[in-house]
Amino acid sequence: MKVLLNFIKGFKSTGKAAKMVVLLFIINLAFSLVLAVPMYHSLKSSMGKSKAGERMAKGFDYLWWEEFQDDSKGLSTTFTPSIIGPGALLDNVENLVHMRKLRLPPVILIAGLLYIILHTFLAGGILSLFIQRPIKFTMKSFFEGAGHYFIRFFLLMLISWVFFMAISIFLNSGFSSIIDNVSRKALTEKEPFFLGLFFSALIFFLILFIQMVFDYARINIVVEDGKNVFKSALKAFSFVFRHPGSTLGLYYLIFLISLAVAGIYILIKSIIPQSAFIGVFTAFLFQQTFIFAVIWLRCWLYSSQLELYRYLE
Amino acid sequence: MLKKFLVLSFTIPLVLGPFLLSADELFCKQTANYTMDIKLDTEKKSITGKELLSWTNDSEFAVDELWFHLYWNAFQNNMTTFLSEGTRRRSAIYRFKKEDWGYCRVDLIKIVKNRYFEDYDLMPSMEFRRPDNNNLHDQTVFSVKLPKALQPGETILLEIKFRSKVPRPVSRTGTYRDYYFIAQWFPKIGVFLEGKWNCHQYHASSEYFADYGTYDVKITLPSSYIVGATGEHRQKIDNTDGTTTHHFYQHSVHDFAWTASPHFLENRENFEFAPGKATEITLLLQPEHKNLKERYMNAVKAAIKYCSLFYGDYPYTTATCVDPAYNSRSGGMEYPTFFTGGANFLTRKGIPRPEGVTIHEFGHGYFYGLVGNNEFENAWMDEGFTSFLDTEVYYAAYGEPFYYKYYFGIPVTFKEVNIPIESEGISRHRLTSDMDILQRFAWEFMEGGSYGANSYAKAELMLRTLKRFIGKDIFSRMIKSYSQRWWFKHPRPKDFYDVVQEFAGQDMNWFLDQFIYGSGKLDYAIGKISNRRERQPQGFFDGKYQKGSKEKSKKALYESEVLVRRLGEVRVPVDILIIFENGKEIRENWDGQYRWKKFKYRGPVRIEAAVIDPDFKLVIDVDRTNNSLMRKANKLAPLKWTSNWLGWLQHALEFFTVFGG
Repeated sequence: MKVLLNFIKGFKSTGKAAKMVVLLFIINLAFSLVLAVPMYHSLKSSMGKSKAGERMAKGFDYLWWEEFQDDSKGLSTTFTPSIIGPGALLDNVENLVHMRKLRLPPVILIAGLLYIILHTFLAGGILSLFIQRPIKFTMKSFFEGAGHYFIRFFLLMLISWVFFMAISIFLNSGFSSIIDNVSRKALTEKEPFFLGLFFSALIFFLILFIQMVFDYARINIVVEDGKNVFKSALKAFSFVFRHPGSTLGLYYLIFLISLAVAGIYILIKSIIPQSAFIGVFTAFLFQQTFIFAVIWLRCWLYSSQLELYRYLE
Repeated sequence: MLKKFLVLSFTIPLVLGPFLLSADELFCKQTANYTMDIKLDTEKKSITGKELLSWTNDSEFAVDELWFHLYWNAFQNNMTTFLSEGTRRRSAIYRFKKEDWGYCRVDLIKIVKNRYFEDYDLMPSMEFRRPDNNNLHDQTVFSVKLPKALQPGETILLEIKFRSKVPRPVSRTGTYRDYYFIAQWFPKIGVFLEGKWNCHQYHASSEYFADYGTYDVKITLPSSYIVGATGEHRQKIDNTDGTTTHHFYQHSVHDFAWTASPHFLENRENFEFAPGKATEITLLLQPEHKNLKERYMNAVKAAIKYCSLFYGDYPYTTATCVDPAYNSRSGGMEYPTFFTGGANFLTRKGIPRPEGVTIHEFGHGYFYGLVGNNEFENAWMDEGFTSFLDTEVYYAAYGEPFYYKYYFGIPVTFKEVNIPIESEGISRHRLTSDMDILQRFAWEFMEGGSYGANSYAKAELMLRTLKRFIGKDIFSRMIKSYSQRWWFKHPRPKDFYDVVQEFAGQDMNWFLDQFIYGSGKLDYAIGKISNRRERQPQGFFDGKYQKGSKEKSKKALYESEVLVRRLGEVRVPVDILIIFENGKEIRENWDGQYRWKKFKYRGPVRIEAAVIDPDFKLVIDVDRTNNSLMRKANKLAPLKWTSNWLGWLQHALEFFTVFGG
């Protein structure tokens, strides 16, 4: 009941902060477009005036892609057939879980790092808006909030990285060794496969768990205007362990909605024909709607968690 | 007396056996015939065996020594040639314990009396040989001196006793738990070819070479084991000590391999692949792959059907496909009438496993099995031909597979992305094959990647290019004829050259040499297309000044030009298609000898596009994208795919925020 109540409250708060969601979406799009421009030129230059361009306009020319891939470096290496359909999302989930095995080019990793820092900055604005009553978005108050909490959120981010690194370095490599050992002695491929799947799910759960704990640490800072980030992190852990059902319940409720949104997105996008400008534009709009929904869900999570924190503390 | 009787009872079938069959039943001269009686001790993981070998000197030269392979000695220490070459093999022996190493020891080798020889012990003259290098730790080849020379046409009869320790699998053979895959396991005579012994050491990237003959093999092992092997399973006798003796027989083959496991699910089907022509398919399946039974069976049937059609009717009465046990490292290998596949229990429709590997390994039954080329020295003649074969058969039977990728070990297919036949091998060739030339001894390539890119990929691409270059019909007749003409023989590259020339009706050395003995790439490109309005005369003409008109004619004429370029070293005549803006098309041909050529046109319409090799004959061209050029670029494609990629990136960035705010 507590979960549902705050889940609904969170939804309403996010609705009132729609302008902020739009701003976050624009930031995401603008940031991505910075990298999309060189990718566009890379694709344009490879296809050039070749017939491959015609074939790629109608469908996917595997032969062209193989040539492009064999010749590509950096950003271009991320252009693969798997960006179609569910692959785009699965690529990201797998990269997240197997952090140790990140094979993304440096330009993407640097962009990702910058985006994380940017988002750490924006998180202050998001939470300072959600704590307001009534919720009223203005650019000034948003960025004031962002600036006000940035240093503390940045330090929190560094603390959270210790946990993420522990998962990445110790757990991931430990699990890999266990899987290798099991695999060496296994009778069938099923044993290492299921064990690997279990470990991946466990790592995924842990990553999300750490994220959730540090969400509450940020919320703690905003609610109590705490100055000590270590204390806030400890309080967050304490809060989550005191209310595991509510915190995890709320988190996974929104997680399930995210999965459903992703499923609908994959399903619908796959049936949009993209062999003409109108189709490409429709697919682009639909794709942006999905990204907007993802950002909305992130804000919804923050606002619901904030409501829950206030409700329980 | 009893001993003499035993020897006679063992040798008579060996000597006479192959000759008791009619000429129709025996497909070829039986040069090396083996009668073996062996026991597998599953406790000690060892084999003890007795081998009676009759070998006929088919050459024109007298032979005063005999050379043998002892392949399993490649697994007796980490300093053997096999385990010293390449890191992939070495990783397999990481953490090896004493009981994991494998070997084959010869305890007795002697001549058994026949019309040419008296009984004679050859053990004192036994000597390990290293024809390829001076590696003293390598004992994969040995020789014995004969008391007198074996003259052309004469036959020698040898009795060999050996004991082997079955290795933990390093490559292709060995035992893992209670699964056994036993290949290249017995003292095996080399090939006396061109006046000398062709008997190479076992190398990391080489395979095998042997003479044809009859294998009559009795295998005794615990009764709980299910056994599969080369040839017909003729008899199964349960012994009183809890063991069973399995009797296998096959003539006209050059090797014998077998497998045993108590867990196999055994499936048999009689398959009529052409009217009145049938073979019995045996599928030995791992229990966890029972859902793949139909896929395996259908792949074997497709392979038999299409190989018979393309390369000659499958002549043997059996075909045994083994689904290898996990960790056995025995998957994807071929032996006469007997081969291994390989699959994951999660494989799904549209992913070519187990079909691809099953067809490939069955296909080796033709190129290696029936056409017995020297795999040590001319690896491309079996790997390249079989890669070509498996692609042709797969696409004929199943069509284009989908692109797929594994996520957390689960395969996901992308049905929007089909993989065309022309992509087979081209990436490997583009990236790696120029490290070497195609025709190298298997162990003399710069690295394993180059061996693969050349022997498999480049050779396959060369054959596909040849097929499209000389025409499908001619090629089909040529390849079938080459196959059947060289069944049960040992062809060399020149023999293939001769058949190509015969069917192409012209000298094709210039074509084949560039690919087989050259490391150059083939890359044609459209360099430029230009359309310029025809100029009005202006200036002095025959001393008279002519002023140019500033008015543009309504009916403009264009001087158009197409520049074609040869960017690679390989020269092959090529077609060029010129497409004008009114839809008119002109075909040109270029010999490709010089680095470039310009084609010029004058007319009322502009050139819209030009395509070099429009019929996609030159599959081996490493850059297909530059084979065409249009006057106007397609604007949609880069926009469309950047937009799709942008979606992935935006989502990825949002995912990254897990680590931040």
